[in-house]
Amino acid sequence: MNEYEAKLMLKKYGVDVPNGYVASSIDDLKNMNLNYPIVAKVLSDNILHKSDVGGVILNITTLEEAREAFEKINGKFSTPVLFEEMVNGNVETIIGVIKDPTFGHAIMFGLGGIYTEVYRDVTFRVIPINRRDAEDMIQDIRGKKILEGYRGKKVNREAIISLLTSISKLVEENPDIEGIDLNPVLLTEDKAIVLDAKIIKS
Amino acid sequence: MFSRLVNPKSIAVVGASHNPTKIGYVVLKNLVSHNFKGKVYPVNPKGGEILGYRVYKNVEDLPEVDLAVITLPAELTVKVFEDVAKKAKFIIPIAGGFGETGKKGKEMEKYMLEKAREHDARIIGPNTVGIYIPSTGVNTALVVPERSRFPGNGDIAFVTQSGALGLLTMDSVSMYNVGFSAFINLGNRVDVNENELLEYFGKDDMSRAIIMYIESFKDGKEFMKIASRVTRKKPVVVLKAGRTSRGGKAASLHTGALGGNDAVADGAFKQVGVIRAYDEVELVDYARALAYGKPIMGDRIAVVTSAGGVGVVTTDYIESEEHGIGMKMASLDEKTKRTIKEEVVPFASVENPIDMTAQASDDDYDGVLEALQSDPNVDAILVYALFQTPLISEKLVDIITKWHRNGSKPIVVGSIGSDFAMKMAAKFEENKVPVYMSIERAVKAIKVLRIRGKYIERWENE
Repeated sequence: MNEYEAKLMLKKYGVDVPNGYVASSIDDLKNMNLNYPIVAKVLSDNILHKSDVGGVILNITTLEEAREAFEKINGKFSTPVLFEEMVNGNVETIIGVIKDPTFGHAIMFGLGGIYTEVYRDVTFRVIPINRRDAEDMIQDIRGKKILEGYRGKKVNREAIISLLTSISKLVEENPDIEGIDLNPVLLTEDKAIVLDAKIIKS
Repeated sequence: MFSRLVNPKSIAVVGASHNPTKIGYVVLKNLVSHNFKGKVYPVNPKGGEILGYRVYKNVEDLPEVDLAVITLPAELTVKVFEDVAKKAKFIIPIAGGFGETGKKGKEMEKYMLEKAREHDARIIGPNTVGIYIPSTGVNTALVVPERSRFPGNGDIAFVTQSGALGLLTMDSVSMYNVGFSAFINLGNRVDVNENELLEYFGKDDMSRAIIMYIESFKDGKEFMKIASRVTRKKPVVVLKAGRTSRGGKAASLHTGALGGNDAVADGAFKQVGVIRAYDEVELVDYARALAYGKPIMGDRIAVVTSAGGVGVVTTDYIESEEHGIGMKMASLDEKTKRTIKEEVVPFASVENPIDMTAQASDDDYDGVLEALQSDPNVDAILVYALFQTPLISEKLVDIITKWHRNGSKPIVVGSIGSDFAMKMAAKFEENKVPVYMSIERAVKAIKVLRIRGKYIERWENE
């Protein structure tokens, strides 16, 4: 499942994702109706680490730049290109799903970026989770202060809780899912927006 | 379901031996020395008599029994197995050399399971030290009696995947007279598994807490289902050891790399109200706190001591997130402070920790514990029973026991010392007061009662 399909699936479960548009040819860009600035991303089932291979171009502010971005990415990978509105937020988090050999599907929540990479500040629960489990997950995070409006960077706890329970529901209803990575999930003052999504099915 | 296993009317020992160093002798000897009241039928082709029991020459001659212990080597165990299955409701094949050794061993296990199913028998093991039930005197474990102790009867049910670690743990806590309601070693777990036993001990009135040593769950989902029912009635503590490597399709994802099996188990425990221990000391320490103590329904702890330094270290442990439990020292109510200062110990520091100094007497402890009972700012009391000063006597055990039983606040007791202090700890234990022989262990017991309290709060809100 490519990123766009993954995000469509998320949207069905009420998950916030940036407005996006898939262009298969340079001509398609005429019909694109997005608010600048936008980002261009290689759209492929096989490329898992897009920015590592030069598959992401940020801060596109005009149609002309969008065309250049399309040509660059399409020229390199011969794939369609996903354009998305850029979103600003306060805190990056990560949400994921794995299939555990003992307990089955489990959902993960953690702080994004360095907190995940270096401190592995993440917590798991077995799916299905209820609202209270989601609340506990937020409490489990060592860096939870960051989710409590540290240095005036406000986030919406309710949005995290609702995202976690929505993902749990999505997996329950789609048991052929092997794994999910939502990374990063950007927290704004009122929303939790999934900027990048990978869903792997068996 | 397992009542005939823990309380059998009759036990056959297949492979009984005249040789005191053999397991086939030790099992019989155990039954004698633990005063097993039921019928005992040794089986050995040589016949004769062992320890006063008439020996049957073959299994076919046996009457029906509740429990059969097979003390023969693996190959011979398989040979007699079907005959045993015809006679016994529960079978414990002690021998190793089965599934843990490879394919052939696995096939032997499969055969035994088939035969057991066919004749409606259940298997504990194989490759197990078996079971020990203090209240009924059933004991199949092979240890040298002069060098180890078996605990007496008590409130803790112990289910373990490792027989040796289980026996060592019971031996070490026998020092404080900790008692158990049952000990069952799953061994290779070809049939009876931890989930069935968790369910059984959840309903067993003799067991007030259940502890488990688990390396791998037979069925994690089923465990969660049963545990979430049992933990609402009584505490369950799990020492989960061992990690599995992960692989498969999802390994390329970030989440796959971050989530070991262990992190998922940790989350699962929290979802179903299981308390986690990380070693054998914590396992029993936590079980005692939970079996004897009251859950703590807030974060504010009052500390009572006669040694200033003990109070200071305890304060650090209670408040520190890094090297401690991240809870709070209670700010005592003015009325409590006045009562303590004016009526009990004018010489003491009435801030928390309440340090009564080396001048403290048994009665001073009584007065301070009484004053704390009505303090609205105190959620639990950690009291140190330190017997090294002249005005403290054995009576302190009774005083603290009284407040533990009749008081309104949860109490955990800390103690420090050697022979005499250990003797007093055993008395606390007999009174079912949770006592710990170090500051850290006492503070961790507080934490565990708080976790239990939080689980209870959560269930009440559901």
